[in-house]
Order: sequence, then C-alpha cells, then structure tokens
Amino acid sequence: MTDTITFGQEISNLLYASEGEPLRTCIQCGTCSGTCPVAGYMDHTPRQIIAMINQNMKEQVLESNTFWYCASCYYCTVRCPQEINITELMYALKRYSIWKGHYQEGLIGPIFSEAFVKMIVSGGRSFEPVLAPSYIFSFSLREFIQEISGATELMLKGRLPILPARIERLDSFKRMIGRIIPMGGLE
Amino acid sequence: MTKKILMIDDDPDFVSGIKAILDKAGFEVEVAYNPKDGMQALQTKKYDLLLLDIMMGRGAEGIMIARKLRKDIKLRELPVLILTGMREQIAFLFPGEPVHPRFVEVDEMVEKPVEPKLLLEKINALIKTAEAKKAGK
Amino acid sequence: MKEYAYFPGCSLEKMASSYHQSAMETTKKLGIKLKELEDWNCCGATTYFFIDELLAYTLCARNLAIAEKTGLDVVAPCSACYKNMYFTAAHLKKDPDLAEHVNFALEEDNLHFNGNVNIKHLIEVFANDISTEEIQSKVSRPLEGIRVAPYYGCQIVRPQKEKENVEQPQFFEKILSAIGATPVNYPLKMRCCGGSLILSSRTAALSMVRNLLQCAVDSQATVIATACPMCQVNLEVYQQQVNLEFGTNFSFPVMYFTQLIGLAFGIKPKKLGIGKEFVSFAPSLLPVLQE
Repeated sequence: MTDTITFGQEISNLLYASEGEPLRTCIQCGTCSGTCPVAGYMDHTPRQIIAMINQNMKEQVLESNTFWYCASCYYCTVRCPQEINITELMYALKRYSIWKGHYQEGLIGPIFSEAFVKMIVSGGRSFEPVLAPSYIFSFSLREFIQEISGATELMLKGRLPILPARIERLDSFKRMIGRIIPMGGLE
Repeated sequence: MTKKILMIDDDPDFVSGIKAILDKAGFEVEVAYNPKDGMQALQTKKYDLLLLDIMMGRGAEGIMIARKLRKDIKLRELPVLILTGMREQIAFLFPGEPVHPRFVEVDEMVEKPVEPKLLLEKINALIKTAEAKKAGK
Repeated sequence: MKEYAYFPGCSLEKMASSYHQSAMETTKKLGIKLKELEDWNCCGATTYFFIDELLAYTLCARNLAIAEKTGLDVVAPCSACYKNMYFTAAHLKKDPDLAEHVNFALEEDNLHFNGNVNIKHLIEVFANDISTEEIQSKVSRPLEGIRVAPYYGCQIVRPQKEKENVEQPQFFEKILSAIGATPVNYPLKMRCCGGSLILSSRTAALSMVRNLLQCAVDSQATVIATACPMCQVNLEVYQQQVNLEFGTNFSFPVMYFTQLIGLAFGIKPKKLGIGKEFVSFAPSLLPVLQE
C-alpha cells in the first residue's frame, strides 16, 4: 500500500494479465517501432510511448494519437524480446483515455468506438450504416464523396445491409450486459 | 477505537482528496490502487468498511469484487460503499439513464463527485448498522 | 460426415456474402457440414476492448456457451471473430473468477459456459482437418499457372497461441498448391491491412493497403487470396481510393481462398459469389473461368 501512485503505475494497473510494472523491463530496442505498420503515422512510436509512460509524462501520452492509431496486429507483441504485451498496452491506453474523456482533439477513433459499442448493445449485431455519422463528417469533401461512392457501389452489388439485423433474444442479451455494466434503461 | 477503511480506487487524484477527508475525520485509511491488490488486502487484513470504485483494470472490476465478497463467508458482513464515476467515465452508455439500482448486493452506492458531509454520514451510518447487526447476533 | 458449429460473424451476411457462399459450397463438396449457431451475436470486434474488457469477454462467451450446447467444434471464417473467441475461451479457462462473473451474466440468457469448446479458423479446417489428398481428389480444374499471393493477414497467426510458427507459416501456401495454383513468395503476407483504421485513420490505412498491393505486384502475383472479410474489403473495395490518394493505378483482384478452392473444384462461379467484386477476376482467371 503506497501513499500515491505514478502515471506509469496507473497504466500498469490497467494491464491485468501482468504483475508489477512490465513496462519497466523495456530495453528501448525499437523492435516494436520497426515492426509496427502504422508507426510512420503516429505522433510517437510505440517505443517512445513506453519511454514516455516510464517517465510519467501523462499529458504528452494522452495527447498523442499513438494508441488510437494502433491496428492491433500484434506484430510488436510477438517480437518484443522482453515479452511486453504492447498491443494490450495500447488497448489499456484507449480505455484510460475514454474513461477519463481525455484524448487528442479531432480523433475519429473514440467517437467511432462509442457508436459501435452502442450499436451492438441495441441490436446484438453490426449494422454498418448506423456507424457512418461517427466518422464521415470528419472527412474532407473529397474523402466524403469517395466514401459515399464506394458505399453506393457496395449497395448496388448487394454487399451493404439495408435493414438492421437483430438477435432474437435481445431482451435477455441486454439484461446480460446489464450484469456486467449496470446500465439503466435496459427493459 | 479507530475505524479502518480500505479504499479500492485506481485514480490517485480522487483518492488523495477522499483520504484527506477521512483522515481528518479520524479514520485509518488504506488504499489499493488496483483490484488484485484490493482483493489481497481484503483476504489478509480486517477492515470496518470498504470504499469501492467500479471502473478499473479491465473494466467494471468493482462489480466482480462486490459479488465475490458477498459469496465469501468471512467478508460477507463487511459494509461496502460503492463510490463510482462510471456515468461520466462511460457516459455514452448512460444517456440520461441512472445506474441500475441494486445491480449487486452492496450496502450503498454514491456517485462521484461526492460531498464530504454526505460521504461521512453514509460511512458512519453503514459502520454503525454493521456493528449493531453483529452485536445482535 | 464432419460437422462444425459455424459462427459466420456480422460481415458475412452482406459485405462478405461471397465468402459465406464459397465456404458453404466448398465444405459441402468435401463432405463437411457447417451448422450455423442459433441466435449468435456480434463478437465485439476489437472495439469492445477499448471500453470494457469484461464486457468484451461476455459477448464472446455467449456465443461459446451456445456452441458448447451443440458439442461441436466452432469454426469462424473471420480472423477477428476467431481471435476474439479463441482468446476469450483461453482467458476464461485461466481465470476462474472471470469465468464465474461472465457465467453470472450469461444466466440472464439461460446460458452457461463450461470451457469445453475448440475454436478454429475456417482455413484451419482446410489446412489441418482435411488431408491434402482429400482436397486434391476433388480438384477437377487445377488452377494451373495462376500465381496467388497468400495473404494471411494478422489475426490468424497472431497473437501466438501455442508453439506455432508466427514468422513463416506455410499452411496457406500448402492449400494453394493442393488446388494446383502457384503460391508466390509474398514478403508482406502477414502485415496488417489496417482493419478498422480505414475509417478512423484513413490515410494511414490506405498507405498500408498500398504497400500490400505494391508488394503483390512486385511478387508477380495475379491474384491475392485472403481469409478475412476485413482484409478483403480493405484491399479491394478501397483500391480505387488508394489510387486516388497516391496516384497509383492498381487493378488487382482480391479473392477469398474458398472462392479459389471452389473454382478448382469446378463449382460454378455464381455459386461462389463471384460477380460481387469491385475488381473483376475475369482477366487473370480466364483459363479457369472458361466453361
């Protein structure tokens, strides 16, 4: 029992599978950054983020787009010589930033995620069209038009659902969710 | 006799605020900042009350802890006060809806932020009720 | 007759319906029955892990509990669904507290998960459960001269489950060889397609797709074979957007491996969902598509 904990320890607490502070075993070899297919588009590479967490640079970490650009491909995780579960770290950072409501402005990831989670809670199955508003309005005009044109072609080829799919036992499904997260208004 | 409180909460800023209030009110406060440490503390030491957060670790861990306590013979009688900010933390799942009442058998639930006076009132009331129950046995 | 509990996943209804059709046709030809799970729900994709991991496990556990009642092994054609369910089962086995919590929730749907289910990706059925000889015996039109880039993607091979080869797997190539095609050496065969980043981090994902397409061109493949609906959509449906973004002019067919197997088995293209693609296979597969 300590008096207070550092940001680094806060993040370690989110990594349920690991004991102690796994990030402290990072040797900064850069294998993760070298392997990551998205690293070139991140504000900070995975290696840098781990170093920043170990230095308790909370503001800079939360303002970075690094973990919201992670595609969960697990390449870093299988190659890390210290066996740090880096993908799990990225999930943990996403959770942390959503729970705190603190993430880089303009990111589509958090909004899209919330829309997706709500969609499954309400029907039990995915229905793409309902997700569109969460990302499409952040697109430039050119991207917007491309996306609409792509969606139209998908629809013409019968590849886009028109009606939302629902599971049959939706009521008990929602009550099941209510036992994990006590949401109101489930009946 | 000084009453011992265990607080399981992953937010160090919130914890320091509450701890200050409780210290001043004469309680002895111990803190566990993650669910595993919290469960270990509960199994190895004796407390008069548990202040329990919900969202920590993998997700709504607090609920798992609360249910586990109620099944444990030794810990079943421990008064539990849930202190949660989940309606803010995952606001998109609670659009205007309050948290489902009685979702787990705890004694009380209070939402963050909590007024110091109210917090102390509830804590004292819960400890008193628990003691009366024990004496009445 | 081999039977499996079939978990299609959300995208196989419409977006990847050709994967579903070709999976059904090819397994039928091999004497395998895929029985769809009743009232299955979305596996949660990666997104539920961003919010609450316990809830993410519960979503998968519901499907696993439904599957357990059938007594059959579960087969998932989508890599993300496969990964989620496999690791949910593994975590529940390792952590009895978690299992107890999840089962408490499942009670609301009169379900209970005891941990007795095997989860496989559809490609594992072809790679492990059926012998190469059996596959070859059903081939009536070997895909001679068709050079295929075997695109594994990421979540079939990673995270590592046991001691399998995560750096140089060969099971996809083995299947392609069995149907007479020529699997090419495709260096980026396990590099991520971007997944849902195509929506949330569009430019980054498009550049990932571009690299994969360029590598297929450089490897002198004529078609990319995939085993995941997300990979197929990113590589094919967004190909035109890659061209607009980077000034390239890719026109590369991307098929599901079950469609290729189906063609080799002599099954009519229409039954394999061929015709719904954005980039036509016809030019590269002319010799095989001809009646």
